[in-house]
Amino acid sequence: MKMRILLPLGFAAGLIVLSGCTTVNSVENADKEGQRNMVADTRAVTDSSLNRKVNIVGVNTSMTPGGLLKVQVELQNRTRSLQRFLYHFEWFDANGMQVNNVLSASVPDQIEGQESKFIFGIAPNPNCKDFRVKFIEAN
Amino acid sequence: MKNKIVLSLITVVPFVIGGCATNAHYVQTGDKEQIVSVGQINIQDYDNAANAAIKDMLDSSALSEALGHISNPPAVLAISLIRNNTGQQIDMNLLTKKIRIALNNSGKFVTTTTVGLGGKVEDPLAQGIQQKNEFMNDQQTTRSPDFSLSGNIIQTIDRSGDTRRSTYSFQLTLTDKQGLAVWEGEKEIGKQGTRPAVGF
Repeated sequence: MKMRILLPLGFAAGLIVLSGCTTVNSVENADKEGQRNMVADTRAVTDSSLNRKVNIVGVNTSMTPGGLLKVQVELQNRTRSLQRFLYHFEWFDANGMQVNNVLSASVPDQIEGQESKFIFGIAPNPNCKDFRVKFIEAN
Repeated sequence: MKNKIVLSLITVVPFVIGGCATNAHYVQTGDKEQIVSVGQINIQDYDNAANAAIKDMLDSSALSEALGHISNPPAVLAISLIRNNTGQQIDMNLLTKKIRIALNNSGKFVTTTTVGLGGKVEDPLAQGIQQKNEFMNDQQTTRSPDFSLSGNIIQTIDRSGDTRRSTYSFQLTLTDKQGLAVWEGEKEIGKQGTRPAVGF
Protein backbone atom coordinates (compact mmCIF):
# COMPACT_ATOMS: atom_id res chain seq x y z
CA MET A 1 0.00 0.00 0.00
CA LYS A 2 2.79 2.36 1.03
CA MET A 3 4.68 1.62 -2.17
CA ARG A 4 1.58 2.42 -4.23
CA ILE A 5 1.45 5.91 -2.73
CA LEU A 6 5.18 6.59 -2.55
CA LEU A 7 6.08 5.49 -6.07
CA PRO A 8 3.85 7.95 -7.96
CA LEU A 9 4.75 10.68 -5.48
CA GLY A 10 8.46 10.08 -5.98
CA PHE A 11 8.01 9.98 -9.74
CA ALA A 12 6.07 13.27 -9.70
CA ALA A 13 8.66 14.93 -7.48
CA GLY A 14 11.42 13.72 -9.79
CA LEU A 15 9.63 15.17 -12.80
CA ILE A 16 9.25 18.54 -11.07
CA VAL A 17 12.94 18.62 -10.12
CA LEU A 18 14.03 17.60 -13.61
CA SER A 19 11.76 20.08 -15.39
CA GLY A 20 13.19 22.92 -13.26
CA CYS A 21 16.72 22.19 -14.49
CA THR A 22 17.92 23.57 -17.80
CA THR A 23 21.63 23.86 -18.26
CA VAL A 24 23.63 25.23 -21.16
CA ASN A 25 26.36 23.58 -23.19
CA SER A 26 28.78 25.96 -24.92
CA VAL A 27 31.84 25.97 -27.14
CA GLU A 28 34.35 28.75 -27.84
CA ASN A 29 37.70 29.27 -29.53
CA ALA A 30 40.53 28.10 -27.29
CA ASP A 31 43.21 30.52 -28.54
CA LYS A 32 41.79 33.93 -27.89
CA GLU A 33 42.67 36.82 -30.22
CA GLY A 34 41.18 39.50 -28.03
CA GLN A 35 42.62 40.56 -24.70
CA ARG A 36 40.17 41.58 -22.03
CA ASN A 37 41.14 44.58 -19.94
CA MET A 38 40.13 43.11 -16.60
CA VAL A 39 39.69 45.57 -13.75
CA ALA A 40 40.17 44.96 -10.05
CA ASP A 41 36.79 45.09 -8.39
CA THR A 42 35.40 45.59 -4.91
CA ARG A 43 32.32 43.61 -4.03
CA ALA A 44 29.69 44.21 -1.39
CA VAL A 45 27.58 41.10 -0.92
CA THR A 46 24.46 41.55 1.18
CA ASP A 47 22.31 38.94 -0.57
CA SER A 48 24.40 35.82 -0.17
CA SER A 49 21.59 33.72 -1.63
CA LEU A 50 21.82 35.54 -4.97
CA ASN A 51 25.61 35.54 -4.81
CA ARG A 52 25.64 31.77 -4.35
CA LYS A 53 23.41 31.36 -7.39
CA VAL A 54 24.64 34.05 -9.78
CA ASN A 55 28.32 34.68 -9.33
CA ILE A 56 30.28 37.64 -10.73
CA VAL A 57 33.23 36.12 -12.57
CA GLY A 58 34.96 39.30 -13.64
CA VAL A 59 34.69 42.85 -14.89
CA ASN A 60 36.43 44.35 -17.90
CA THR A 61 36.29 47.75 -19.52
CA SER A 62 36.92 49.35 -22.88
CA MET A 63 36.03 52.58 -24.67
CA THR A 64 33.27 52.93 -27.27
CA PRO A 65 34.14 54.43 -30.70
CA GLY A 66 32.64 57.67 -29.38
CA GLY A 67 34.92 57.73 -26.31
CA LEU A 68 32.50 56.52 -23.66
CA LEU A 69 33.41 54.04 -20.94
CA LYS A 70 31.99 50.59 -21.60
CA VAL A 71 31.81 48.07 -18.78
CA GLN A 72 31.24 44.37 -19.25
CA VAL A 73 30.46 42.03 -16.37
CA GLU A 74 30.71 38.27 -16.72
CA LEU A 75 28.19 36.30 -14.68
CA GLN A 76 27.88 32.62 -14.04
CA ASN A 77 24.87 30.72 -12.81
CA ARG A 78 26.22 28.20 -10.33
CA THR A 79 22.92 26.40 -10.00
CA ARG A 80 21.30 24.00 -12.45
CA SER A 81 18.11 26.03 -12.79
CA LEU A 82 17.18 29.30 -14.46
CA GLN A 83 17.76 32.37 -12.32
CA ARG A 84 16.09 35.76 -12.77
CA PHE A 85 17.68 38.94 -11.55
CA LEU A 86 17.65 42.71 -12.02
CA TYR A 87 20.71 44.88 -12.47
CA HIS A 88 21.49 48.50 -12.93
CA PHE A 89 24.55 50.59 -13.55
CA GLU A 90 25.50 53.72 -11.65
CA TRP A 91 28.09 56.10 -13.06
CA PHE A 92 30.46 58.52 -11.35
CA ASP A 93 32.57 61.41 -12.62
CA ALA A 94 36.25 62.15 -11.85
CA ASN A 95 35.22 63.74 -8.53
CA GLY A 96 33.27 60.68 -7.48
CA MET A 97 29.94 62.44 -7.98
CA GLN A 98 27.13 60.30 -9.32
CA VAL A 99 26.14 61.24 -12.85
CA ASN A 100 22.43 61.58 -13.48
CA ASN A 101 21.27 58.87 -15.79
CA VAL A 102 17.83 58.86 -17.39
CA LEU A 103 17.90 55.10 -17.46
CA SER A 104 18.26 54.51 -13.75
CA ALA A 105 15.66 51.74 -13.68
CA SER A 106 16.82 48.18 -13.22
CA VAL A 107 17.12 45.90 -16.22
CA PRO A 108 15.48 42.49 -15.83
CA ASP A 109 17.57 39.58 -17.04
CA GLN A 110 17.81 35.84 -16.67
CA ILE A 111 20.49 33.21 -16.87
CA GLU A 112 20.10 29.51 -17.57
CA GLY A 113 21.53 26.82 -15.30
CA GLN A 114 25.36 26.69 -15.35
CA GLU A 115 25.35 29.36 -18.06
CA SER A 116 27.99 32.03 -18.29
CA LYS A 117 26.84 35.32 -19.80
CA PHE A 118 27.86 38.94 -20.13
CA ILE A 119 25.94 42.10 -19.33
CA PHE A 120 27.25 45.50 -20.29
CA GLY A 121 26.66 49.15 -19.65
CA ILE A 122 27.79 52.30 -21.42
CA ALA A 123 28.52 55.51 -19.56
CA PRO A 124 25.97 58.25 -20.26
CA ASN A 125 28.68 60.81 -21.08
CA PRO A 126 32.47 61.11 -21.51
CA ASN A 127 32.92 62.55 -17.98
CA CYS A 128 32.08 59.20 -16.38
CA LYS A 129 35.17 57.53 -14.99
CA ASP A 130 33.87 55.02 -12.43
CA PHE A 131 30.91 52.73 -12.10
CA ARG A 132 28.97 50.47 -9.79
CA VAL A 133 26.65 47.62 -10.78
CA LYS A 134 23.85 46.51 -8.48
CA PHE A 135 22.17 43.12 -8.63
CA ILE A 136 18.84 42.18 -7.09
CA GLU A 137 17.20 38.78 -7.17
CA ALA A 138 13.90 39.01 -9.04
CA ASN A 139 10.66 37.70 -7.58
CA MET B 1 -19.44 28.64 24.68
CA LYS B 2 -21.27 31.66 23.21
CA ASN B 3 -18.89 33.97 25.01
CA LYS B 4 -15.94 32.19 23.43
CA ILE B 5 -17.37 32.68 19.93
CA VAL B 6 -18.09 36.37 20.54
CA LEU B 7 -14.62 36.86 21.99
CA SER B 8 -13.04 35.17 18.96
CA LEU B 9 -15.06 37.37 16.60
CA ILE B 10 -14.02 40.52 18.44
CA THR B 11 -10.39 39.46 18.08
CA VAL B 12 -10.68 38.65 14.37
CA VAL B 13 -12.81 41.61 13.17
CA PRO B 14 -10.06 44.31 13.51
CA PHE B 15 -7.73 42.18 11.38
CA VAL B 16 -10.40 41.78 8.70
CA ILE B 17 -11.11 45.54 8.70
CA GLY B 18 -7.37 46.25 8.73
CA GLY B 19 -6.99 44.05 5.68
CA CYS B 20 -9.34 46.32 3.72
CA ALA B 21 -7.08 49.36 4.15
CA THR B 22 -5.05 50.27 1.06
CA ASN B 23 -1.32 49.98 1.40
CA ALA B 24 -0.42 52.88 -0.88
CA HIS B 25 3.28 53.54 -1.18
CA TYR B 26 5.79 54.96 -3.65
CA VAL B 27 7.65 52.57 -5.90
CA GLN B 28 10.64 52.95 -8.14
CA THR B 29 10.17 52.20 -11.83
CA GLY B 30 11.72 48.86 -12.62
CA ASP B 31 12.02 47.65 -9.04
CA LYS B 32 11.43 44.00 -8.12
CA GLU B 33 7.78 44.69 -7.27
CA GLN B 34 7.02 45.66 -10.86
CA ILE B 35 3.75 44.59 -12.43
CA VAL B 36 4.10 42.54 -15.59
CA SER B 37 1.10 42.44 -17.94
CA VAL B 38 1.12 40.06 -20.88
CA GLY B 39 -1.44 42.02 -22.90
CA GLN B 40 0.11 45.46 -22.64
CA ILE B 41 3.38 47.33 -22.59
CA ASN B 42 4.41 48.19 -19.04
CA ILE B 43 6.43 51.26 -18.14
CA GLN B 44 9.56 49.17 -17.53
CA ASP B 45 9.28 47.81 -21.09
CA TYR B 46 9.73 51.32 -22.49
CA ASP B 47 12.72 51.74 -20.16
CA ASN B 48 14.27 48.49 -21.32
CA ALA B 49 13.67 49.21 -25.00
CA ALA B 50 15.10 52.72 -24.67
CA ASN B 51 18.03 51.40 -22.64
CA ALA B 52 18.89 48.84 -25.30
CA ALA B 53 18.56 51.39 -28.12
CA ILE B 54 20.76 53.94 -26.37
CA LYS B 55 23.48 51.43 -25.51
CA ASP B 56 23.44 50.19 -29.08
CA MET B 57 23.58 53.71 -30.53
CA LEU B 58 26.40 54.88 -28.29
CA ASP B 59 28.38 51.73 -29.09
CA SER B 60 27.86 51.89 -32.86
CA SER B 61 30.99 52.41 -34.98
CA ALA B 62 28.92 53.43 -38.02
CA LEU B 63 27.06 56.09 -36.06
CA SER B 64 30.29 57.31 -34.50
CA GLU B 65 31.77 57.70 -37.98
CA ALA B 66 28.65 59.51 -39.23
CA LEU B 67 28.87 61.87 -36.24
CA GLY B 68 32.49 62.54 -37.17
CA HIS B 69 31.33 64.05 -40.46
CA ILE B 70 29.09 66.63 -38.76
CA SER B 71 30.67 70.02 -39.42
CA ASN B 72 29.44 71.72 -36.24
CA PRO B 73 28.68 69.19 -33.51
CA PRO B 74 26.56 68.26 -31.67
CA ALA B 75 24.37 66.73 -34.36
CA VAL B 76 20.75 67.86 -34.66
CA LEU B 77 18.18 65.11 -34.22
CA ALA B 78 14.55 65.29 -35.36
CA ILE B 79 11.90 62.85 -34.24
CA SER B 80 10.04 61.35 -37.16
CA LEU B 81 7.22 58.83 -37.30
CA ILE B 82 7.21 55.88 -34.93
CA ARG B 83 4.38 53.61 -35.99
CA ASN B 84 2.26 51.87 -33.41
CA ASN B 85 1.36 48.42 -34.73
CA THR B 86 0.04 47.15 -31.42
CA GLY B 87 -3.52 46.85 -30.21
CA GLN B 88 -3.12 49.56 -27.63
CA GLN B 89 -2.82 53.30 -27.54
CA ILE B 90 0.74 54.41 -26.91
CA ASP B 91 2.21 57.79 -26.11
CA MET B 92 5.46 57.60 -28.06
CA ASN B 93 7.10 60.09 -25.70
CA LEU B 94 7.42 57.24 -23.20
CA LEU B 95 9.99 55.74 -25.57
CA THR B 96 11.45 58.69 -27.45
CA LYS B 97 11.90 61.07 -24.54
CA LYS B 98 14.28 58.72 -22.73
CA ILE B 99 16.30 58.28 -25.91
CA ARG B 100 16.37 62.03 -26.48
CA ILE B 101 17.48 62.76 -22.92
CA ALA B 102 20.22 60.13 -23.04
CA LEU B 103 21.51 61.32 -26.42
CA ASN B 104 21.41 64.90 -25.22
CA ASN B 105 23.30 63.98 -22.03
CA SER B 106 25.93 62.20 -24.10
CA GLY B 107 26.84 65.56 -25.65
CA LYS B 108 26.63 64.11 -29.14
CA PHE B 109 23.10 65.17 -30.09
CA VAL B 110 20.63 67.97 -29.57
CA THR B 111 16.99 67.54 -30.53
CA THR B 112 15.12 70.13 -32.53
CA THR B 113 11.70 71.11 -31.21
CA THR B 114 10.91 73.42 -34.12
CA VAL B 115 11.02 70.87 -36.93
CA GLY B 116 8.32 68.24 -36.95
CA LEU B 117 6.68 65.69 -39.17
CA GLY B 118 4.07 67.29 -41.48
CA GLY B 119 4.86 70.73 -40.09
CA LYS B 120 3.62 69.75 -36.62
CA VAL B 121 6.25 71.11 -34.28
CA GLU B 122 6.76 70.20 -30.65
CA ASP B 123 7.19 73.76 -29.46
CA PRO B 124 5.20 76.28 -31.55
CA LEU B 125 6.31 79.18 -29.35
CA ALA B 126 9.99 78.39 -29.95
CA GLN B 127 9.27 78.20 -33.67
CA GLY B 128 7.56 81.61 -33.55
CA ILE B 129 10.53 83.16 -31.73
CA GLN B 130 12.94 81.58 -34.20
CA GLN B 131 10.96 82.84 -37.20
CA LYS B 132 10.71 86.33 -35.70
CA ASN B 133 14.48 86.42 -35.12
CA GLU B 134 15.13 85.30 -38.65
CA PHE B 135 12.82 88.04 -39.98
CA MET B 136 14.36 90.74 -37.78
CA ASN B 137 17.94 89.80 -38.58
CA ASP B 138 17.12 88.99 -42.18
CA GLN B 139 19.10 85.75 -42.04
CA GLN B 140 18.24 82.11 -41.71
CA THR B 141 19.28 80.60 -38.40
CA THR B 142 17.32 77.35 -38.66
CA ARG B 143 19.66 74.39 -38.63
CA SER B 144 18.25 71.51 -40.57
CA PRO B 145 18.37 68.17 -38.75
CA ASP B 146 21.38 65.94 -39.35
CA PHE B 147 19.51 62.80 -38.32
CA SER B 148 15.92 61.68 -37.92
CA LEU B 149 14.65 58.93 -35.64
CA SER B 150 11.86 56.71 -36.90
CA GLY B 151 10.58 53.25 -36.05
CA ASN B 152 7.87 50.75 -35.31
CA ILE B 153 6.43 49.06 -32.27
CA ILE B 154 4.96 45.70 -33.25
CA GLN B 155 3.02 43.25 -31.11
CA THR B 156 2.71 39.57 -31.91
CA ILE B 157 0.49 37.29 -29.84
CA ASP B 158 0.83 33.53 -29.54
CA ARG B 159 -1.65 31.33 -27.72
CA SER B 160 -1.52 27.72 -26.71
CA GLY B 161 -4.32 26.55 -24.44
CA ASP B 162 -4.46 28.94 -21.51
CA THR B 163 -0.92 30.12 -22.08
CA ARG B 164 -0.55 33.44 -23.83
CA ARG B 165 2.65 35.08 -25.02
CA SER B 166 3.02 38.64 -26.29
CA THR B 167 6.18 39.80 -27.97
CA TYR B 168 6.74 43.50 -28.47
CA SER B 169 9.35 44.48 -31.04
CA PHE B 170 10.75 47.98 -30.69
CA GLN B 171 12.43 48.80 -34.00
CA LEU B 172 14.26 52.09 -34.39
CA THR B 173 16.19 53.64 -37.27
CA LEU B 174 18.45 56.68 -37.38
CA THR B 175 18.62 58.16 -40.86
CA ASP B 176 21.15 60.77 -41.98
CA LYS B 177 20.70 63.75 -44.32
CA GLN B 178 21.44 61.58 -47.35
CA GLY B 179 18.58 59.26 -46.49
CA LEU B 180 20.84 56.44 -45.33
CA ALA B 181 20.08 54.45 -42.22
CA VAL B 182 23.31 54.85 -40.23
CA TRP B 183 22.00 52.94 -37.25
CA GLU B 184 19.20 50.43 -36.80
CA GLY B 185 18.25 48.65 -33.64
CA GLU B 186 15.67 46.21 -32.44
CA LYS B 187 14.71 45.10 -28.97
CA GLU B 188 12.22 42.32 -28.44
CA ILE B 189 10.41 42.06 -25.13
CA GLY B 190 8.51 38.81 -24.62
CA LYS B 191 6.00 38.21 -21.85
CA GLN B 192 4.15 35.03 -21.07
CA GLY B 193 1.35 34.17 -18.70
CA THR B 194 -1.73 32.07 -18.27
CA ARG B 195 -5.27 33.33 -18.67
CA PRO B 196 -7.12 33.52 -15.36
CA ALA B 197 -9.71 30.78 -14.78
CA VAL B 198 -12.33 33.42 -13.93
CA GLY B 199 -12.64 36.72 -15.76
CA PHE B 200 -12.89 38.14 -19.21
